[in-house]
Amino acid sequence: MPLHNSASSSASGRPSIELITILVVCAIIFAVPTLLNNDYLLNKLARYLVLGILAMSLSLSWGYAGILNLGQAMSFGLGSYAMAMTLKLKTVPVHTGPQGLPDFMVWNNVTSLPWFWQPFESHLFAICAGMLVPAAVAAALGWFMFRGRVTGVYVAIITLAAMVVLNLVIIDQQQYTGGFNGITDLAQLEYFGIAFDAYSRATYYLVSFCLTGALLLAYAFTQTKAGLIIQAIRDHESRVRYFGYDVGAYQIAAFALSAAIAGLAGMLYTIVMEFASPTFLGVQLSLSVVVWCAVGGRQSLLGALLGAILVAGVQGALSESAAFVETWTLVMGALFVLIVLFLPKGLAGLAGSLWTLLQWRRVDGISPVRQFHQTEGGHERLSSAE
Amino acid sequence: MSAYLQLSDIQVSFNGFLALNQLNLEVNKGELRCLIGPNGAGKTTALDLICGKIKHSAGSVAFDGIMLDGLEDYEIARAGVGRKFQVPSVFRELTVSENLQVARAKHPGVFRNLRPGYRRADDEAVDRLAILVGLEDHLNMPASFLSHGQTQWLEIGMLVAQDAALILMDEPTAGMTSQETQKTADLFLRLKGRHTLIVVEHDMGFVKAIGDVISVMHLGRLLAQGSASEVESNPEVRKAYLGSGGITHA
Repeated sequence: MPLHNSASSSASGRPSIELITILVVCAIIFAVPTLLNNDYLLNKLARYLVLGILAMSLSLSWGYAGILNLGQAMSFGLGSYAMAMTLKLKTVPVHTGPQGLPDFMVWNNVTSLPWFWQPFESHLFAICAGMLVPAAVAAALGWFMFRGRVTGVYVAIITLAAMVVLNLVIIDQQQYTGGFNGITDLAQLEYFGIAFDAYSRATYYLVSFCLTGALLLAYAFTQTKAGLIIQAIRDHESRVRYFGYDVGAYQIAAFALSAAIAGLAGMLYTIVMEFASPTFLGVQLSLSVVVWCAVGGRQSLLGALLGAILVAGVQGALSESAAFVETWTLVMGALFVLIVLFLPKGLAGLAGSLWTLLQWRRVDGISPVRQFHQTEGGHERLSSAE
Repeated sequence: MSAYLQLSDIQVSFNGFLALNQLNLEVNKGELRCLIGPNGAGKTTALDLICGKIKHSAGSVAFDGIMLDGLEDYEIARAGVGRKFQVPSVFRELTVSENLQVARAKHPGVFRNLRPGYRRADDEAVDRLAILVGLEDHLNMPASFLSHGQTQWLEIGMLVAQDAALILMDEPTAGMTSQETQKTADLFLRLKGRHTLIVVEHDMGFVKAIGDVISVMHLGRLLAQGSASEVESNPEVRKAYLGSGGITHA
């Protein structure tokens, strides 16, 4: 049957091109330490990679499922605190000695370790909780929103509000959370006999490994039929229902998966930054993620990831340079406005169009527009669209 | 013995306006029923009601022994009701082949659809469907690039893919050329028997070509029912169409 010959070169070929690109990018990320022998820069790069994972997780919920989660940093913060709690318990406190209470608890007159801190003695528990707690919170929030058929801007408001509430609770419950200061003075994560010092190759490789895993997991999800159905939901939600799909269940699944990946990113962020802070689930970070996603291309996992690395990297460079120290937020704002105005699908969309153009040129030297109209059966509707 | 689909004493109110008023309608299994009537007669509302898009304030809907009242829209779809909308409703950002894949909804559960490798399993079925609706050359084209007639065909193809026992068609030939309309009529006649169809249509030529029994609605209730000639000669039907240019131009 000749039908899928054409398919293999374009549409069903597109995913495999996507997969190859993902693998190439991951390989480059893994190769960086062989060229860059500078632990300070590796730490900085690892930080951007973590932010890339966070943006990629938002792409899954916003770009694919059409759920604009302005509170994506809530999942990120939950993961980050889970890791900080378990690493804090591994430090030897100055005041209370081995197996003693964390310092901030002592300062706040807490006399025994609270029950919800106790399981965090185990790293394994913390790592599971760092992904499962955000996923469960997202699923619960999603259950209320999507069963109630809440859509669009209301989802954005509810998710943002939920994050602000959690942020305030964490700041308020100082005796259990470290409050405004967050959780600092952490031990290094030690696993498989490796100590993950923030300024070491080991940590960089850990981040790269998790990034590759998360990216491939998210990609695999988009390639399942469920991944196709969530895109159909993004496109025309009510129509999907008349095929018998329980739209709410699909939205909850995508939302929870996205939250779990954001939680993973949060855990890595604590390892790289060596502390957890309420700003990790702050409005500023959460909205930045939306910008990164939009710049990179929210409908592309890799686009969102690279967008975050690019924008966060430029942000870092600008804010440290003497010329832009005052104005870098303006520069970033202008860049965002330009991208949204002229590249609605972000840099990934631009790359995709260029690729298609190149491919068509190579095949038979005619433009996509002309070829499209020819395949339509000779309708002479050629426009100046080129 | 009750009918396959039975609407009994249905009342639907939009802020006090009775869009459906004591509507009674029975459709037998395997039948192709045409639903006609002047503008505002409540034809689309009747389809909306059956597929669960709107709720009724009185009466009951029974389909194949199941009461559809109180079921969610997606549960009604799972019970075997498919719907084609008046404004063609396809997934415009997805390709033709992806649209058809989404429509193949035999297993609507989330976990089942998380398994990898569905595309290969679906390819052959999607090819057959695409040939059926004449879109085999456009499989990888986003649906937003299709012409209006092709979009109509795609949605019809999606309903065939869904393989619903009861198919509700709202003005399926709107925007089609006469050849395309003829092709649609042929397809519907083939679907008849294996599926039960209710077709809302204004084109009387099309209705005569496909319909055995025609139901005429007016002011939210059933006005008349019978063959094309019976309906056309019915004085009440003629009166209902007065002012809209007669039944043939409605």
